Amino acid sequence: MGREKEKEKLSEKALNLLRSRLSDPNFIFRPLSDSPDSNYSKLKFIISTSVTEACNNSILLLGPRGSGKVAVLELVLSDLLQQYPEAISVIRLNGLLHSDDNCALKEIARQLCMEHQLLFSKVASFDDNSQFMIAMLRECGLAHKTIIFVLDEFDFFAQGKQRLLYSLLDAMQSVNSQAVVIGVSCRLDVDQLLEKRVRSRFSHRKLLFLSPSKEDTERFIEHILSLPMDSSLPHNYAAEFNGRLKKLLSDERFKELIDTYLSFNFTIGHLVRFLFQAVSYMDLSAGFLSLGNFKTALSSNQRQPKLECIRDCSVLELYMMVCMKRLEVKEQASYNFYSVMTEYKSIHDSFQTSDYYAANVCLRAFEHLLQCQLISFIDNKGHNQSVEFRPVKLLISSAELHQGLKSYQQCPAILLKLMDR
Amino acid sequence: MGGKDNVSRQFSYPLKTTHRPLPICKTLKKKSKIATKSVTFTKQQYTKMPTETPRKQFQSPKKPKQSPNNVKSQSSTPSIHLSPQTPQVPLRRSSRRSLQPFTSKTVDEMLDLSTPRKALEDLDGIGKCSGNNRKGSSVRTPRAPKCKFNEEDREIPEMGKVGEGNGVVEDAFCPVSPEALESKKTKKGLSEEGSVKMGKSPKCKLNEDLGKLGEGNGDVVLPEKRKKGLRNEESVKTRKSLRCKLSEEEREIPDLGKLGEATFFAVSPQALESKKRKKGEEKRAVTRAMATRSLKKVNKEEKKGRKRVYYKKVVYDGGEFEVGDDVYVKRREDASSDDEVPEMEECRVCFKVGRGVMIECDDCLGGFHLKCLTPPLKEVPDGDWVCGFCQARKLGKDVEFPKPPEGKKRVRTLREKLLASDLWAARIESLWKEVDGGYWFRGRWYIIPEETASGRQPHNLKRELYRANDFADIEMESIIRHCNVMSPKEYAKANDQGDDVFLCEYEYDIQWHSFKRLAEIDNDEDGECANGDEDWNSCKEDDSDTDEDMEYEEENERNVHARPSTTHQLAANSRKGRFFGIQKVGTKMIPEHVRCHKQTELERAKATLLLATLPKSLPCRNKEMEEITTFVKGAICDDQCLGRCLYIHGVPGTGKTMSVLAVMRNIKSEVDAGRIRPYCFVEVNGLKLAAPENIYTVIYEALTGHRVSWKKALQLLNERFSDGKKISKGDDRPCILLIDELDLLVTRNQSVLYNILDWPTKPHSKLIVIGIANTMDLPEKLLPRISSRMGIQRLCFGPYNYQQLQEIISSRLKGIDAFEKQAVEFASRKVAAISGDARRALEICRRAAEIADYNMKNQISSVNSSRVKDVVTMADVDAAIQEMFQAPHVQVMKSCSKLSKIFLTAMVYELYKTGMGETTFEKLAMTFSCLCTSNGEAFPGWDTLLKVGCKLGECRIILCEAGDRHMVQKLQLNFPSDDVAFALKDSKDLPWLAKYL
Repeated sequence: MGREKEKEKLSEKALNLLRSRLSDPNFIFRPLSDSPDSNYSKLKFIISTSVTEACNNSILLLGPRGSGKVAVLELVLSDLLQQYPEAISVIRLNGLLHSDDNCALKEIARQLCMEHQLLFSKVASFDDNSQFMIAMLRECGLAHKTIIFVLDEFDFFAQGKQRLLYSLLDAMQSVNSQAVVIGVSCRLDVDQLLEKRVRSRFSHRKLLFLSPSKEDTERFIEHILSLPMDSSLPHNYAAEFNGRLKKLLSDERFKELIDTYLSFNFTIGHLVRFLFQAVSYMDLSAGFLSLGNFKTALSSNQRQPKLECIRDCSVLELYMMVCMKRLEVKEQASYNFYSVMTEYKSIHDSFQTSDYYAANVCLRAFEHLLQCQLISFIDNKGHNQSVEFRPVKLLISSAELHQGLKSYQQCPAILLKLMDR
Repeated sequence: MGGKDNVSRQFSYPLKTTHRPLPICKTLKKKSKIATKSVTFTKQQYTKMPTETPRKQFQSPKKPKQSPNNVKSQSSTPSIHLSPQTPQVPLRRSSRRSLQPFTSKTVDEMLDLSTPRKALEDLDGIGKCSGNNRKGSSVRTPRAPKCKFNEEDREIPEMGKVGEGNGVVEDAFCPVSPEALESKKTKKGLSEEGSVKMGKSPKCKLNEDLGKLGEGNGDVVLPEKRKKGLRNEESVKTRKSLRCKLSEEEREIPDLGKLGEATFFAVSPQALESKKRKKGEEKRAVTRAMATRSLKKVNKEEKKGRKRVYYKKVVYDGGEFEVGDDVYVKRREDASSDDEVPEMEECRVCFKVGRGVMIECDDCLGGFHLKCLTPPLKEVPDGDWVCGFCQARKLGKDVEFPKPPEGKKRVRTLREKLLASDLWAARIESLWKEVDGGYWFRGRWYIIPEETASGRQPHNLKRELYRANDFADIEMESIIRHCNVMSPKEYAKANDQGDDVFLCEYEYDIQWHSFKRLAEIDNDEDGECANGDEDWNSCKEDDSDTDEDMEYEEENERNVHARPSTTHQLAANSRKGRFFGIQKVGTKMIPEHVRCHKQTELERAKATLLLATLPKSLPCRNKEMEEITTFVKGAICDDQCLGRCLYIHGVPGTGKTMSVLAVMRNIKSEVDAGRIRPYCFVEVNGLKLAAPENIYTVIYEALTGHRVSWKKALQLLNERFSDGKKISKGDDRPCILLIDELDLLVTRNQSVLYNILDWPTKPHSKLIVIGIANTMDLPEKLLPRISSRMGIQRLCFGPYNYQQLQEIISSRLKGIDAFEKQAVEFASRKVAAISGDARRALEICRRAAEIADYNMKNQISSVNSSRVKDVVTMADVDAAIQEMFQAPHVQVMKSCSKLSKIFLTAMVYELYKTGMGETTFEKLAMTFSCLCTSNGEAFPGWDTLLKVGCKLGECRIILCEAGDRHMVQKLQLNFPSDDVAFALKDSKDLPWLAKYL
């Protein structure tokens, strides 16, 4: 009994280690950053030249979500902050928060003040703040300090007049400062969004973050999941854990499983989330990762929300959906509540079902379907019309509806029949 | 009245005031006003004095001297000064004085060129007679034994303490032009008397119109505003040697030089005290600042009757001291060595001064005769040279410098003393005469690296000083002589300027212990340009009384500013004239990489290709710049300048703003030279304004310095431009308004543009508007009443063609061998074909250099580096162009997930099938499932498919509506289908995709 408990403790320790690794971007991206071709070393080179050679720069980091743009950037920044303490100040903005030029400049001024222990005034105007920013750029340039502007969700800054980007980039071409503007965005066409004057001032350096190759992925999984041999964990436990993991990784079924998972989204962030889930399913009494853990994780990932929605519907709502389906089969392109009601009545008339409800009850069911987003309005026009007159559209395919009806326990047999007819 | 005249004649000091551009700074503006208000200048003075004369003055003393009489041959002997820091013979003051003819040459010229005027002749006459006087007196004084105290000295007991009896007694004599004398009588007279006030005197008006500033008057004494007691005068007379720099007198100087041998320095106890205080409170700036302030307070009380008189230049004790000069300042009274300032540095080996050429060790700064070295050197080698002792020490050996012969003590030079902090150096910020007649200056300390918080660092240079933001009022007595503190650029050029050369690149903040590069180094010319205006401004100022008051206020304010703000802190970003606390910004230590890193060719290329680097020449826009120049000049010179408006258009990056600014710089330098009437220049950028209306505020602030709301500003500007109401003095100057990004000022009713463009048509506005925008037809898009005002004169900046781009790039890269010629051509052809944007071309080249640099550094780090190239090749340029111009979507499509690939294929297939660009998710899902079933792939389900579509939509590879539209979601490819086909045709994991593409 005591032995088992000890084992459990051990595996819990291992689990914690794995989890903390998976939630630490530093650990995840470090091994990918060594080679000279990696984005890490390119980005580091660009920023560090700005520090050492006192020049201005602007870079765009592009790539799909989850490809590690910000993680790599943070890695680079933390390394450079260690290498050149005091010489770098980082200003972070997010397009979702600061897309308004005025508020963005205020935030820049605030962070600059924080960074240099100056007093910040909330009431300063746009002009004040922009002049302050330019003065600070100049002063920092004189003091050999680099200011790094990180603009996350860069596409939101590239809207409207783009005053912030213009004044930033214009300052960089006229003031002898050393500043780096780093735009991070998942939109690949973000440089096309820039206004022509801003685009001309932007240096158009781009770093593209792509998904890793298949081999990299395998190596990556092994790197993350194998336990360190020289930690507090007992040596033989770690060795056994790693041996089992190796066996698992070479298993064809496991490879297939990972492939199916990555077939729809092939990024590191996505993979890490999956691994975290799988690791959390680890059986503590066994103490080792098994194929079953990954399978459960995969199935919990592959969910069909619409089908699950059908399971929660009432019978009347099922009737209404089947009616809509029938209307679609009859090639009636658009239908609203009343046309569905006519169909419903005709079904009732011909089959004399027990489930016949009054129109107002049906309307409630109709509205519920709208809320569940099993049906939706075809267009956004006609907001002032009342619900029952607006054309709607069924959002699940007939196959899905069929499957849903089958899995519905109290589904009247007539409905399945009606579907086929 | 005659007696009175006499008194004032004796009293008025023949001080030379020079017009010298000061760095632009609010506190200094006023000062320049005072200093210049009573002075007129010759053209020569105007241009030469700030730059050449001081240097000549300062350089020459350090040149070795054989005999004081043949100065010119001396200074032209080239062979004597060799290695960069060759310690040369520092001259004693006596010998320096003998160099005066050199300096006075400019004065001679000035006088020769000056229009003969009666006043001047008078002045000359006085100079002559006083020169004679002087001869007599100056012969007398040096013979007077050391400790001969004058009565006056006894009257002021502190001065008596000076001991050593080194008060140099020379005669003060004062040739004063009658005009100046008259002006002294009353203050009223001062403001009305012509020769003193520039703008007022009809004579000067004439001169001004001629483009020459009043000539010959540079030597006129600054008028005293009050009468002083006789006692003061006499004490001054005896203790100070003040001369008028007139040609007559200057000729006497070589003689004087011989006598000067006997002169010593007088140390005023007061100055010493303040110095001692400084020593004690090296770290506590507060107290010192307070101390200075308390002094001020006393002055203020006194001020009712008496005032300080500020000068630009003082000839004191045989040396000329000007605002902006650097001087050695005494530190101790007791140090006996202070008395014997060595004439020359001794050789470290033979301990003789000798005439031979000396070479300086770059490590220990010791001087060696070439012949004393083992083996002896024939010539001074190029580059760094380190003496044998230092080399041996570096190798770890224990070496001793040769001991000086018995009975002889090695004499340290001033430089050595300074670097050993036995002396101080300071920069003169202002010069004035106290009410009691003592001459003082406000010095800004230079400190040596050892005195800073971080101490001397290995990468500090031997001759490095820092400029502290610490001021002190020092008596002129404690000045030893000039030293020469230079910016790195000057320092690099200063090969043979003797021993008193120092390098100062950084400013040191004594409160925050932080360093900051000196800003003036970077924008030297800007500061000077901006000053041209200010000085004009000040010339026209006639109310000198308020001026002086303002000066006091400014000074106090500066003191307050210098103190750590104890009262209440002001926010840094709420700008009420200045940013508070911004001086805190600075490095704690000068980073090593700045100094120790030697730039490679590639890095130099990168630096010069930076957009922020101002190129030395602006090629390819000569025609346009000429046109702008003629426009601006024509507009300024025209008295009415009615309706002057220029519209400049062109695509971004074609040098519009740069050309205009370059033209304005040129014109400003002409204004400085006095050829063109002064004007004011206001630059506004439409995109940097929060709202179009704010432009009124910005313009008004630029013109007057006051900040008001835009409505008020509009009203005031209307008054000024439309009604011709002039508020302040400078208002009658023509005003050039440059509006960049003009199209941003277009409001719905276009009133902003209308107002601004309407002003130039008003008779007395003297407003010239230059508008810059991108679109050619902006005036046509505007209301007719605006386009009729703006659209008449236009200038088009066409995109650069490839030859021009090539020239722009290669003119920047001149002297740097980092680019293959074809590489530059390739880049410029590519850019010319796409946009003709010079910025883009420069950025491509810089990026290419960066890529080459990156590859090179990686090759070096990896062991198997077969060949290390340090030129930018075509391949690098191509890589840079790819990065800049190619959209990254192809790469992303190649690497995206399996389902995404099928999804995209289905989109293309659907497009081919229907011929419609837009499709719905429902249709696409059908196609998708068809593709899957016919190729043996599992259909992932609708919901997953929706997610895949949304992911692609996020990257904007496809355009799609929000995901909650689900079945009715509309989809469209964002890139041509060919791109998708190209990207997915040979994907390895899904070979069947090619069928459908």
